[in-house]
Amino acid sequence: MTDLWDSLPVVAQDWLIAVALVLPILLVGATLLRGFRPLPLVGALLWRFRWANLMFVLLIAISTGMGIGLIAQERGLRIGTAQAADKFDLVVTAPGSELTMMLAAVYLQPSAVPLLDGATYDRIARTDRVEIAAPIAFGDSYAGAPVVGTIAGFVTYLSDDQIDGRLFARSGEAVIGAAIDLSLGDRFVPAHGMGQGAEADAHDGFDIEVVGRMARTGSPWDRAILIPIETVWEVHGLANGHRVEDGDRIGPPFAPDLFPGTPAIIVRATELWANYALRSEFTEAGQTMAFFPGTVLANLYRVMGDVRQVMSIMSLVTQGLVAASVLLGLFILSRLFQRQLAMLRALGAPRRFIMAVVWGYGAALLTAGTVLGLCFGLITAAVLSRIVTLRTDILVSASLSWSEINLALGFLSATSLLSLVPAVVVLARPVVENLQK
Amino acid sequence: MSLPLSIANLTVTVSNRTLLRLTDLQVEAGALIGVRGPSGAGKSTLLNALAGLIGAQGAIRWGGTDLMSLSPEGRTAFRAAHMGMVFQDFLLFDELSPLANASLSALFAKPDQRAAIATRAAGQLTRLAVPEDSRAVASFSGGERQRVAVARALATDPAIILADEPTASLDRPAADRLITDLLSMTRDSGKTLITVSHDTQLLDQMDRVVTIEDGLLTHDTGVSL
Repeated sequence: MTDLWDSLPVVAQDWLIAVALVLPILLVGATLLRGFRPLPLVGALLWRFRWANLMFVLLIAISTGMGIGLIAQERGLRIGTAQAADKFDLVVTAPGSELTMMLAAVYLQPSAVPLLDGATYDRIARTDRVEIAAPIAFGDSYAGAPVVGTIAGFVTYLSDDQIDGRLFARSGEAVIGAAIDLSLGDRFVPAHGMGQGAEADAHDGFDIEVVGRMARTGSPWDRAILIPIETVWEVHGLANGHRVEDGDRIGPPFAPDLFPGTPAIIVRATELWANYALRSEFTEAGQTMAFFPGTVLANLYRVMGDVRQVMSIMSLVTQGLVAASVLLGLFILSRLFQRQLAMLRALGAPRRFIMAVVWGYGAALLTAGTVLGLCFGLITAAVLSRIVTLRTDILVSASLSWSEINLALGFLSATSLLSLVPAVVVLARPVVENLQK
Repeated sequence: MSLPLSIANLTVTVSNRTLLRLTDLQVEAGALIGVRGPSGAGKSTLLNALAGLIGAQGAIRWGGTDLMSLSPEGRTAFRAAHMGMVFQDFLLFDELSPLANASLSALFAKPDQRAAIATRAAGQLTRLAVPEDSRAVASFSGGERQRVAVARALATDPAIILADEPTASLDRPAADRLITDLLSMTRDSGKTLITVSHDTQLLDQMDRVVTIEDGLLTHDTGVSL
């Protein structure tokens, strides 16, 4: 049986789970409603207690939506961060926290990190199977956007060669990310540092011209300004990595003794498998640390997975509490219309019809709340995604998946079955007693 | 169609307290019977027992059917097929139109009976001069609402009409009109009507009036006790 299940396509498994979750509602509905037309009475009850009903629907929708929205958001964030790190196979930095280094080098979060020297860079750049060894130098900014020094080859790789304009060809030129509010031909002076502590006039006299704009990458690099690493060094009064006889040439190779240092080196291997060997090769105790951002992210996701589980449990607890309050509400409301229900019994309505009316009323509230909750969850996830994207430039697009849909269907199914309880309680009371109330 | 009623040795006991004890009561098919007596004497208990809504010992025969021998669902089905009920405070669904209220029984009737019930309900409403519109009955006067309730009771063309204080919630003109309508419609169709009431205007027009006191039948205008 397990083998048969495992042999099914994932989509088929999702559909089957959804059908299994909906089946109890369909069976109860078909059993209770068969041969009857309770809808006018369900409609009357919905209208009579419309404000209370609206509150119930909103309560269900908010609890369902929040749970679903947060879970969808967590998944969207995971996918977004993974995609943003997709171009960063291997990162070499000075020893320290991999997470801090990854946040600085991949997600451009400002951080003071030690520098790697020219000899280290030269050794890495000359290693067999290294296709790109891109030094990354950060610390300056313009209008809040990080100004990152690197090499042209990395810009081409990062943007998949999708550049409006051209690559920088000499010091003093820049290629901007898609979200930067500058135009080709604009000139700017970078500030020293980032954020509120940035010194706007520290690099006066170093005009940089925008010569190209990268296509959108869905990563924080969309809000970065990429300049030759030589320019970064020059504006800080350092050597530019080249000998005088090299003239205005930029990019590798660099003279190791004239290489002022770089916080990180992004490495791309000629073959994927080679990354593992390179990681070992570039990890030297006390000297360098090489790591896969994907692995760091996987560890992070493991922690997030625990958080996700906690969120799922909290969501279930919340929904359980809401289900309990909805049931309590159904009890109260069913007591309010028990005289009419008793009158129906007096007119000859079978018990099943009374159950169909009470259950139909509860199921209508629960279904409306759950459907609204799915929409609310989608909107919540979209809004949160937008906020995260605006703040980090990591393209997060959260959408509902089968797990959220099945969570909602499970809630609907369980509470729909539970809503039979008020119907049974109504029927358990003597008709005459209810008529006289 | 109408059904005769035969009660023999009927006892209704609740929590070891006897609420009603009738040794014998015979009602001809199509008769209009009034039940009167002081409050708490057992009038409504009798009506509820006749409808099969409460348990009792003894025999309540409607035609050839002994209600007491039926299961609770059997009594429910009997009510659906043979009885119409009118209550003191109408018990309508305020949100529904007069026609929707009058044809409530169609919602749980067999599919082949639904159209007939709806047609009869519409006919009764017309005959009772209830405004024919889609307004909810919440906006109707008490007299109009009770006429809707009467139309509801007659929509299934029952053999028996049981009414519990049908005029008690109405002012005099509305009560008089309802009495005229209720009696003419039941009399014309030969239905058996049993109504509990304090309203002498209503009781005076009954074929026969029985008096219940302390759970016992103490006076019957139809027979010498």
